[in-house]
Amino acid sequence: MRTYFESLPVYSEYFDEAIDAIIAAMDSGIRAEKGRVLVELGATNKDFWFLKDGFLKEMYRSPYAKEDTLFNMIPPSSIFVNEDTLFANQRPQHYFTAYTSVEILRLKEEDYMRLLQQYPVVINLLYLSGTAEIQKSRRARLSMLRMNKTPDRIEWVQQQRRELYHIMDRITLAQYIGVSRASLYRAFEKNKKYQF
Amino acid sequence: MLSQKDVERLHYGLLSHIQLQGDGEAETLRALSNKFILRNVQSGDTLWDLDSESGDLHFILEGTFAEYLKRGAQSFILRFYRPGKFAFSEDLLLYSKHSDTFSKALSSAKVASLPSVYFQNALRQGGLGVKLMEVLISLSMTEYRNTTYEMLQTSGTNRIHAALEQFPDLLHLIPRRELADYLGISRASLFRSLKEIGHE
Repeated sequence: MRTYFESLPVYSEYFDEAIDAIIAAMDSGIRAEKGRVLVELGATNKDFWFLKDGFLKEMYRSPYAKEDTLFNMIPPSSIFVNEDTLFANQRPQHYFTAYTSVEILRLKEEDYMRLLQQYPVVINLLYLSGTAEIQKSRRARLSMLRMNKTPDRIEWVQQQRRELYHIMDRITLAQYIGVSRASLYRAFEKNKKYQF
Repeated sequence: MLSQKDVERLHYGLLSHIQLQGDGEAETLRALSNKFILRNVQSGDTLWDLDSESGDLHFILEGTFAEYLKRGAQSFILRFYRPGKFAFSEDLLLYSKHSDTFSKALSSAKVASLPSVYFQNALRQGGLGVKLMEVLISLSMTEYRNTTYEMLQTSGTNRIHAALEQFPDLLHLIPRRELADYLGISRASLFRSLKEIGHE
């Protein structure tokens, strides 16, 4: 977790005391087996969650699909939250499922508020920097989703999301890059270099 | 100089996003609204470009803008800005780095702009400035989330449906060529899909 904070652009040694306090406030966490829905992030949950180990699928209900759809894949060392609840006080539209077995740590909302009182500047900066990283990642993925050719999208994942590329099965990869399974298979057929 | 009506619209726009605590913040917000400068922009003119050095915060009073992300030799539309919305380069305003995007007016437009220095001052003072920063990041995250929903649709028709959900007035605001570019489909596909859903 310390590595995550140290990787944020705003990090300096001045933040260490607050980071130690955050780490000390995290509870012992949750282990979930592959396929389990994280029901801990319920309708009113505003806690901060840190994926220590494993991969998560972030799912949503698309009005245009019969089944729930993949929105994003979350790799280890990521923070994730109930965005709708935390930012807009609304029921969450997304939920999280363990794609592999996972280990997750939690910073409860009340502990976050207490730390915010104690270290207002640093906690605000870490919060802003953390959300900014999510935003940058979304923008980067959008640039991939605008690519016209499926092979270009696959290549982007290979280069920019290497960790995900190696863990995703083909169905998940097709959903992640927004193409049909048929398009993905055609691209693989044409170019053997994409083989797993 | 902004008219009183424009200042009120701008102030209301800010208020709709920020939860104020106490009279102090209300006063600071009012003072910040008064620092915005009116600009008239012609169709095709940029609000910021790849060489811009300062990140101003813009509030669209009239007209529509598109923000383009440069990728290699190509650029594609990342998002649209409509009246009553904030427009800004995340790179310049939030991260103080070179902008990877530029924004162009799709029609004649009227914009209220807060020079970067006032935004940075507000941020340094904490309180309202930090709240404003949180709001802008959260707005971007939500927009990107909605746009991701659109782009994850494999059919052109579903992409249009998803886009109309996000921007109900989209078809009236955006020329068809830009719309096809935004949705990542050909113009022929766009027209076919619009016909299919009864919009042409």
